[in-house]
Formats: sequence, C-alpha cells, structure tokens
Amino acid sequence: MARLANLETEYPVLDSTVRNFCASHGIFSVEDFLIHDLYMLAAFAEQNDSSERLKEGIAQVLSVIDDMHQPWLNGMELLEDAKRNKHVFPTGIQGIDLLLGDGIRVGQLTELVGPSSSGKTQVCLRTASNVARNHMVLYLDTGNSFSPQCIAYFLGKTISPSSAQAKNQFLQKVMSNISCHSVFDIFAMFDVLHQLESYLRCQDGRGGCQMRLLIVDSISSLISPVLGSSSTLGVINSKLMDTARALMTSAGYLLKKLAHQHNLAVLIINHTVGGEGGSSKPALGDSWKCIPHSRLFLSCDRGSNTYNVSILRHPSMASGKAARFVI
Amino acid sequence: MEIWRLPISASQRGKLISAGYTSLSSLSSISSSDLARELKVSESEAMNILKVASHSRGSETSNASCSIVEVLDTFQWWAGAQSAWDMLHDEESLMHITTSSADLDNILGGGIHCKEVTEIGGVPGIGKTQLGIQVAVNVQIPNDFGGLGGKAIYIDTEGSFMVERAFQIAEACIEDMSEYNRFLRKDFQECKIKMLPQDILENIFYFRICSYTEQIALINYLDKFLSEHKDVKVIVVDSVTFHFRQDFDDMALRTRVLSGMALKLMNLAKRFSLAVVLLNQVTTKHTEASFQLALALGDSWSHTCTNRIVLYWNGNERYAYIDKSPSLRSASAAYSVTARGIRNSSSSCKRIKMM
Repeated sequence: MARLANLETEYPVLDSTVRNFCASHGIFSVEDFLIHDLYMLAAFAEQNDSSERLKEGIAQVLSVIDDMHQPWLNGMELLEDAKRNKHVFPTGIQGIDLLLGDGIRVGQLTELVGPSSSGKTQVCLRTASNVARNHMVLYLDTGNSFSPQCIAYFLGKTISPSSAQAKNQFLQKVMSNISCHSVFDIFAMFDVLHQLESYLRCQDGRGGCQMRLLIVDSISSLISPVLGSSSTLGVINSKLMDTARALMTSAGYLLKKLAHQHNLAVLIINHTVGGEGGSSKPALGDSWKCIPHSRLFLSCDRGSNTYNVSILRHPSMASGKAARFVI
Repeated sequence: MEIWRLPISASQRGKLISAGYTSLSSLSSISSSDLARELKVSESEAMNILKVASHSRGSETSNASCSIVEVLDTFQWWAGAQSAWDMLHDEESLMHITTSSADLDNILGGGIHCKEVTEIGGVPGIGKTQLGIQVAVNVQIPNDFGGLGGKAIYIDTEGSFMVERAFQIAEACIEDMSEYNRFLRKDFQECKIKMLPQDILENIFYFRICSYTEQIALINYLDKFLSEHKDVKVIVVDSVTFHFRQDFDDMALRTRVLSGMALKLMNLAKRFSLAVVLLNQVTTKHTEASFQLALALGDSWSHTCTNRIVLYWNGNERYAYIDKSPSLRSASAAYSVTARGIRNSSSSCKRIKMM
C-alpha cells in the first residue's frame, strides 16, 4: 500500500495539510489508514480548522482502498465460471483418475506428497504429457528430474503405431507445448511466477493454445533452505521462521491466485519427513497444510511396480479413499 | 509485486516495511538519498535496494504491452526455459561417464548422467571411494574413445583419497584404452595413446575439507572456480555426510544447510553441464519392528538428489541398486572392485572370509 506522500501526485487533494494531520495521528501510509479508527479520525478532522479539506482527503483515501479489492461475485456467477472455465484434466493414470473423479481440476492446487521414490515425479510427467496434447504446460524443476525421455515414452504408448515420421511430428507438436524451467531458490521461483502472471494476462485475451497446467517439482526443496523448526529458541530463529513462513504462504497464495484467475491447474510436489512413532508426515508443517485444495499421499510397494495413492484432503471426494496404480 | 519477494536481507526488509514501503510501486519515485534518510541506512545500501527493486520491476513492465508473437517468444525464451522437445534432443547428445563396469553402465543407462546429481551410498567397505576415484579418472577419457575428455573435482571430507590407488586406476584405464585402440580401431590409423597416468592425476582438482563450514564455503566458491575452469565435467564429494553427522545439535539448521547445499549443486550441474556424484554413508532406521539400513542424512536429504544408487552386499558379491531415478527403471547389477578399479563381477568370491 502506498505512502500518502506518493499518492499526492495522483490525488492532489492529499496535500501537506492532510498529510500533516494524518502524521499527527501516526498515519503514514494507506495501510496505517486501514488499521486506524476512522470515526475517531473523522471526529478529530471535524474539530480541525480546515475540516473540509481533511474530510475530502479521508474520502479520497477510502475510495483508493475501495478500488483495491476483487470484484464481488454471487453464487450464480461462480457456477457459470466453474462450468465454463474450470475443467477437469485427466492425469492419464487410470487409478488416480478414478479416485479423483476424472482428474485434477482447473483452478485448484493439488499437492502430491510421498516419501522418496514413490512416483510423484512420474505422475507429474504423465499428467504433463496428457495435458500437453491440447494445452501448454509449464514445469518448474528444482532437482533436474524433468525427463523428456519419459514424456516421449508416455506419448509413444498412447498413439497407434504409424510411420516414424508421423510419430516424430506428433511428438514434436506435443512436446513443444511443454516448457521446462529450472529454479534453484525461492526468489527465482517468485520471479518466474511473476513473469508467468504477465504472460497469462496477455494470453487471456487471445484464443489458441493456452497454458492450463503448472507443475512445481518440488516446492519443499525450495522452502526447506529457509524454513526452520519451531523447537529452536532464540530471537534470530523466530525472525527467520516468520520470514520463511511468510515466503511459504505467499508462494501458496500466489499459486492459488494464478490458478483461479487464469484458469490453471496447479500440481505441486511435497516430500515427507519423519513424524512421531516412525510414521512419515508431509513436510512444510501445519502452516502449509491448509493451503493446497487437495492433497494426495503416494507410496510405493517395494519390489513391485504398483503404487498406492490415498486422499488426504479433497474439496469434493471423501478423504481416506485409496487406490493403486501402475505407471 | 510485494517487497517480500525481493532478495534483500531480512533487516532491510523489516526497515522498508516499518517505513511504509510494502510494494514495489512505492519505491518507484523515490531517490536513493531520500530512501537512505527514511530508512536510516547508508546511501550505498539504499541504492542497492532500489537497483534490486527496479530490476524486478523491469521484468514486469517489459511484458506489459505485448503482441501475440512477442508473447510466444518471450515465454519460451526467458531466462532458461526450454521446451521438452529441445531438451529431448539435447539429452540425446549428452555423454555419460562410464563406470568401467558394463553391467553397472547398463542399469545406469550408459553411465553417470551429466546435468544431474547422483547420490551413491553404501555400507563401509563396499567401494564408494573406489567408485568415486574411478569416475574421476573415467571422465578424462578422450572424446575419441567415447568419453567426455573433461577434468574432475574431488572433494575429500574423510581423507580416504589415496593417490597411489588413483595412479593405479589411471594406469589401468590407459592400458584399457590402448587395448580398445588395438582391437576395435585397427582399420583406422593406430594413434598411440599419448596420455600418461601423471596427466590424468594432473586433471583431478583435489580439495580437502575439515569442517562443514569449509564444505559450504567450497560449494559457494565452486561457482567462480567452474567459470574459470570450464572443462571440469564431474564433481565428486566423498563423502557428503561426514561433517554433518557429528556436532550438529540443531537438526533444523542441518536440514536448512543441506537443502541449500543440494540446490547449489543442482544449479552448478545444470549451468555447467557437469555430473555431480555425492557419496553417502548408511544409518539404521527403526521401522515397525525391524531395523533397516538406510542412507544417512534423513528423509529430507533423500528428496534432494536426482538419482540415488545404493551399494550393498549380496552374499559375497557387491551389488548396485537404482533406488531413485526419473528415467531409469529400478534394477540391480553386480560389480567388483579389482586392482584395476571397478569392473564387472566375476563369479569368484572376492570378499575376505572371516576365520
């Protein structure tokens, strides 16, 4: 929120008299304005000499604030939006699609949690290859685990045998829709998401092939270098914790905003850490727990090729349901 | 865009927010001297903050007005994004570092991959250091013989690097190359191998690390080192665990440090197209009712590497098992450690029998 001094160029009514009055009450920016008691402020303004100007100034700031919130929507408009824009993308893996009732939903954040080597990256690659047939996909990779051979393999399995040249053309067309970007720290990820936002704003106007899937593999390795644990004491550590948690929730909200406003399905990968009694629980703690819309827990049967998936949290399916799948 | 997302120090961020600057637009019209006065910092610090803010803002405004063609171009080509199709072709041209054991190379899909971080762990005595030295030697095999012709960085934390052994392995490697030369290239002009074991040893950059701070400092320094020595193609860290197992009371700090280190190594692997091999030790994990051997450094570390190979004993044979890989199937292969280095296993028993 801007400082009042900076707003003067746009709104000349916020001149020095208004600002000095506000400063005398400890208000330097629009944010301070919001937390102050406005009735008290108006009462003080009344008692002041130049009360008209002050009231104009206060009204101006209030109108600036009004412009900042998202538009109101009623239930019918939300339903229209959901029917028109918020499609469901099948992942291409039968077990998961049956479990989720057709697949992952646009406009929602789906999290895949699981111990190491439980198939999370494979599920993402499979989903990417499925969605890339008709839409664009962005894959943010933190562990150099994006494997174009896997994508080519999955695509090769799904098309009927035809000439090598036709197959090549098909692979080229679909794989050019997948963009892979390596990010190695959380600020780089914010940069990329910000650029993506500008790109999506341009894209929404025109038709053609649009981006519909964003995959972050994995968000936990970006946040772990900054996230501490609450058991450590000390002022420095608690400040670090606050910054880290703020970055984490900020990332979560940005992803949700991108998903809803620009009709993306977002798939993120999280890993597990040891919990009590030797069981594993998802990393990133309780603050992250409520951020994704749906959470799926994956695990692998050692020795066989089958994987287990169970729902930890989903907006429309019962949690605790499980299924098995093969890749 | 919010101040949160700027890569500035936490104290600077705190000062900006308490002075009322919570978004980038509020920083757009202020001069550095005013900012320095408001935040009570030095003018150079204020200039730094404004530079970072305008850099982030610059990337935003450049995309503000865009035509369709421009949009497509800016999307595909900003800062390193590549389409999967291009990556597929790049990968086909990437070489692998052979381990000198054909079985092991087979399950690895040709050898140790470049641009990826491979973690190799096993019980003491299984041959991790031997494998590390073999990889450091094999990366120097010239292009004509199917190798990378690059140099190696060997980061030794335990002191287990034996120069005499490396010399032995280098000699054996050169002998193998001349054998290959004789048998398979006899229709070409037989070019004598001009490499000597001394040359191979000269191309291994050796760093000895004595504490975890030195380890982190070295990984940070490698960025500059690799920009000067662009022909380094493999970094071997033997072992990455040693300094993190003792003296660490604060487990949260350990997790943070390790994840940060892993990300930096990933970054190096990707930027300089080299392979990173991390050797790890084992620990016992108590799951349900049994004790199991698992790789050290915990669950969070196990997620940070691209590939993981576990070395174990099966009877009297040494085996390698691919535990985690994005593109390879889980498989095991036997190998052996001989006087000439890592080779395919033969059926005779190599393990010392206890009397």
